[in-house]
Amino acid sequence: MNAFSYARPRALAEALRMLRNGAVALAGGTDLVGLMKDGLARPQSLVDLTGIEGLRGWSHAKGRGLRIGALTPLVELETSDALAKTMPIVRESLRDAATVQLRTMGTVGGNLLQRNRCWYFRDEGTVCWLKGGSRCFAIDGENRYHAIIGANECVIVSPSDLVPALLAYDAEIALTSSRGTRRMKLADLFIAPHGKERREHSLRPGELITEVRVPEAALARRGTYLKAMDRKAWSFALVSVAAAARIERGVARDVRVIMGGLAPVPWRVIAAEKALEGTTLDDASCADAADRLLAGATPLRDNGYKVTLARELVRRALRSLVA
Amino acid sequence: MLRGPGATDVALTVNGESVTVHGAPRRTLLDTLRETLALTGTKKVCDEGTCGACTVLVDGRPVYSCMTLAVACEGKSIETIEGIAKDGELHPVQRAFIDADAFQCGFCTPGQIMSIVALLRENAGPTEDDVRRAVAGNLCRCGAYPNIVKAGVSAGKRR
Amino acid sequence: MPRVVKSREEFEGEIFESLVLVEGKDLPLPAAGTEFSEIGRSRRRVDGVQRVTGRARYTQDVYLPGMLYVRVLRSPYPRARVRRIDTKKAEKLPGVRGVLHRFNAPKAAFRGEETIFREEVRFVGDEVAAVAADDEQTAVEALRLIEVDYELLPHVVDLEEAIGDMAPRLDTDGNVAEAATHKRGDAKRALKEADFVVDATYRTSTQVHNSLETHGAVAAWDGEQLTVYESTQHTFGVRQGLRTALKLPFSKIRVLCDYMGGGFGSKGGAGKYSIIASLFSMQLGRPVRCVLTREEENIAAGNRSATLQQFRIGGKAGRITAIEHTSWANVGQGRWVANPTGPTNTLYDIANLSSKSYKVVTNAGSLAAFRAPGYVEGTFALESAVDELAEKMGVDPLTLRRKHAGSPKDPMSGKKYSDKHLLECYRIGAAEIGWQRRRSGGIRGSAPHRRRGIGMATQIWGGGGGPPAYATVHVNPDGTVVLTAGTQDIGTGTRTVLAQICADELGVDLDAMQVRIGDTDHPYGPISAGSVTTASMGPAVRIAARDAKEQLLGAAAGVLETPKAELRLEGGAIVSKGARTPLGEILSKVENNTVIGRGARHPNDPDLSQRTFGAHFAEVEVDVHTGEITVEHIVAVHDIGRIVNPTTARSQVEGGVLQALGFALSEERFLDRATGRVMNANLENYKVPTVKDVPAKITVKFVDRPDRKANNLGIKGLGEPPIIPTAAAIANAVANATGARVRHAPLTRARVLEALAVAGARS
Repeated sequence: MNAFSYARPRALAEALRMLRNGAVALAGGTDLVGLMKDGLARPQSLVDLTGIEGLRGWSHAKGRGLRIGALTPLVELETSDALAKTMPIVRESLRDAATVQLRTMGTVGGNLLQRNRCWYFRDEGTVCWLKGGSRCFAIDGENRYHAIIGANECVIVSPSDLVPALLAYDAEIALTSSRGTRRMKLADLFIAPHGKERREHSLRPGELITEVRVPEAALARRGTYLKAMDRKAWSFALVSVAAAARIERGVARDVRVIMGGLAPVPWRVIAAEKALEGTTLDDASCADAADRLLAGATPLRDNGYKVTLARELVRRALRSLVA
Repeated sequence: MLRGPGATDVALTVNGESVTVHGAPRRTLLDTLRETLALTGTKKVCDEGTCGACTVLVDGRPVYSCMTLAVACEGKSIETIEGIAKDGELHPVQRAFIDADAFQCGFCTPGQIMSIVALLRENAGPTEDDVRRAVAGNLCRCGAYPNIVKAGVSAGKRR
Repeated sequence: MPRVVKSREEFEGEIFESLVLVEGKDLPLPAAGTEFSEIGRSRRRVDGVQRVTGRARYTQDVYLPGMLYVRVLRSPYPRARVRRIDTKKAEKLPGVRGVLHRFNAPKAAFRGEETIFREEVRFVGDEVAAVAADDEQTAVEALRLIEVDYELLPHVVDLEEAIGDMAPRLDTDGNVAEAATHKRGDAKRALKEADFVVDATYRTSTQVHNSLETHGAVAAWDGEQLTVYESTQHTFGVRQGLRTALKLPFSKIRVLCDYMGGGFGSKGGAGKYSIIASLFSMQLGRPVRCVLTREEENIAAGNRSATLQQFRIGGKAGRITAIEHTSWANVGQGRWVANPTGPTNTLYDIANLSSKSYKVVTNAGSLAAFRAPGYVEGTFALESAVDELAEKMGVDPLTLRRKHAGSPKDPMSGKKYSDKHLLECYRIGAAEIGWQRRRSGGIRGSAPHRRRGIGMATQIWGGGGGPPAYATVHVNPDGTVVLTAGTQDIGTGTRTVLAQICADELGVDLDAMQVRIGDTDHPYGPISAGSVTTASMGPAVRIAARDAKEQLLGAAAGVLETPKAELRLEGGAIVSKGARTPLGEILSKVENNTVIGRGARHPNDPDLSQRTFGAHFAEVEVDVHTGEITVEHIVAVHDIGRIVNPTTARSQVEGGVLQALGFALSEERFLDRATGRVMNANLENYKVPTVKDVPAKITVKFVDRPDRKANNLGIKGLGEPPIIPTAAAIANAVANATGARVRHAPLTRARVLEALAVAGARS
């Protein structure tokens, strides 16, 4: 790890000022410290956000949606019985995310901004395309965990468990910098690296995610999160799916299907969701949706199995909404 | 207050005692415990948050000390394997580990025990499944898991 | 008087004959019906408190005053010539105390090579240079400042590519070398005459030990004596390696290993890190620590070879009539091969058999012995093939095995086994798993998309132990006892079982015992590998305890003025005609004394083959749409002679089962073929099982009958047997459940889904 200076301000404004001056934000550190140890991040100074008041915890004001502070430790969301009633998919998605220790340390904001787990990217000795090199090594290399769809020059996959769950509920985020605050759809935070965009997030320099909001209307949806791993715990998803819908007299409305582990960004195909609208989420509709979700998938040498897995998880997740 | 990049004083409470350690901000809590404070019961296995052997409690919660900067623990209370026996009596979890033969080489043991100590504070009577969830972030290469689960459940019962 | 005898010992699948020094006479087996006070009883580990309090000191925990930290610069290329090394910038970094590399390091012989820094580096991770500095961070930074001029050479890392014609030749004789061959009967003809033949290719992936404590050493040279703390399975092996490398006499080298955090075969002797730490310490006059990182542990500290195995197995009239087995193993830069044909040659009494084992060198890290090396890989293939044949023949796979598993003779050497209860293992295991519930094609699982199946597999292994192994028992004037031996406890419970054997024979309480091991200043102890520790050390400890007891009874006879023949030692007291006098009371009457008992392990009967046997049964559920395997129940039954401590024995079996579960389902090293780099040199993507992967139920059973012809306690080893048959049992259960035969371990999602697709297309 390189040497750096460190500060832990209590005021948001102070943290934003430091960020503007090039400091890197530290929250739980579960990703950043690892990147620093591997020499993939070499910040000159760190601003520890965990001392800032007011960005921790969640609240639900009826009719005004759910608000989650970006510095809320994941374990607080996971263990809250009240939240499990308001939006059960959050607990469901977090239960198999990493470990108790990592969920204790990790925060919501950090989870949204975690970098990909591609082993070529994480290998300090490999200068891959995403790190400014000339090519992606995974495309012709060891690629069992890589993207089967939606990739350009780089075949990383979206690693978060929480993100697909939040996206299935149309989450938005607030971003703050010393210039002010902007809001955007959470989905717009994610970039499939391509061309000059050799990055995974659209966060601007000096910006901080301060909160996540879920609109009230979305909270009426039923949701579920399924994750396939290659051992029974502590693994990033081979494929995951968050599905949500409002079920009216056995018929699905506002259907959302978001997949993790499949593409460089959380994978969503609007046409697939549209096709499910008004159906009973019967097997045929689910199969059709899976076809649309995976249309154009181009598996690499070792990840063709993800197509089979994805199809089945989509079917199961959707079926469970009407079960 | 901006600290570093050189060495700086950090005030911690470790196993109930106030200590001030001197180190650069990049120093992890794990290295601080092992090398500065000579508390070598907490083990370094992966040093990248993928094994759990370095689990300690910070303000009562289990964390990986290898991924935690010591400077970020200023003013916080740290508990390690060396601090849980009281007045010469083993902690019930330690006793349960011996009784259930819940270790072989013993290298993951301090981390496993700290994870279960944290669990018992939230849940005094854990089920097997509760214990499994609590130690799912602590790898054991010898495969002592079945006995670790037994130890966790019985430690809950004997408290 | 010591005397030289011939010894013949099986070790990790091979027979070794040697001359050994023994003294005294061996003891007879305890009479049938002997009431043991300790042997055969479950006891808590004697070092438990140390281990649960964090006080147990491992090599990693040794911090000495003035100690320097070493980090090693490793080749980033799979094959290259080191033309020039410039260390000027690194040496100028404040805190750097020394740099070693091939142009300045003293010659230090290691595993047949003259130096530890090669001119031609042969895998990513090969040692190029080492830096000693005041702290670790400085050493790491210094590595970045070393400039190396490499001339890149063509490389090959993949087993099947290395076998092919297009691969660069890494050795003058090529990449492939015959390592072992065995023939009996006429396999070719028998296969032609067979009614059923299975012709199948099996693969096993590279498994990495990933002991939680990495390899490492702390060396301290005081001008006269080199003291080396090392995480090792063999302190005496480390001493031998250091003597060869450093040309120091044994008297000047002391190797210590108090506690160690796992080895699983990989810590059999001195490593380059031990030599580097020692060289620096001798040069710089300060203690030096060289402990590998997790990444180094994965790339440069050994592994279980990947294998490619071809089987042709034939059956006729309800019996197996022939086997042809050819194996290729990727040994990386290793110099030996862990032979996968061992179980094929010896497990079943099959008349016509032909096996060949090839060593394949590649530009990958060397193999190291890994818990039942070769046998784990070979048994996966053999026992899968036997099931495939049974399926084809339409016979029950257990019935088929029974026909070949009962022979009292080793089919390879023709020698009689000292003891064998394999059929008994089958009987117990079948009853415990409920084998009668097994149906061809599997049974219904807990949901419509889940199929359930049952499978089994057999294991054969050594574990008889043998000489040389020595122990000394010191009895203090207060009646307390110190057992001293040169063995080490690698997590198996050696301290505890040796204390039990000693206390039992001596007639003292376990509480009175201290066990001091892991020190080359103690009497010689063998490597803790090959499942030999208890069977080698235990009989020596018993003799040492008996020797001490005889002396104590003699002393007591003098103090009590009673004939020795009327005295017994029981529960730490001398018993005479119903009167009990505590040992301490008697010895305290003779001021300041130490009673010393000595014992040596005596040779095995050379006309017998000492083996362990066992069978594992697995019940699994398979999600036929996602390929997920859930192991519900493992039954492990072993025939390893008398059990000394049922609790630690059971733990050992569970541990073996779980390490095998990783081999079977999730553990696999990934090498990038183009760059030769290990992509998952970490515990994130090298997937060892977690607590949640543990089967819902593991049933452990022992035949628990003393092997009367093995040694004076009738005990055999247990370290390796439980890792051997698990993967095949699981693969057979998966095939039974679904009809999908996965011939490549681990059985990952991709492989299971592919096999399910094949099976689906077939049905």
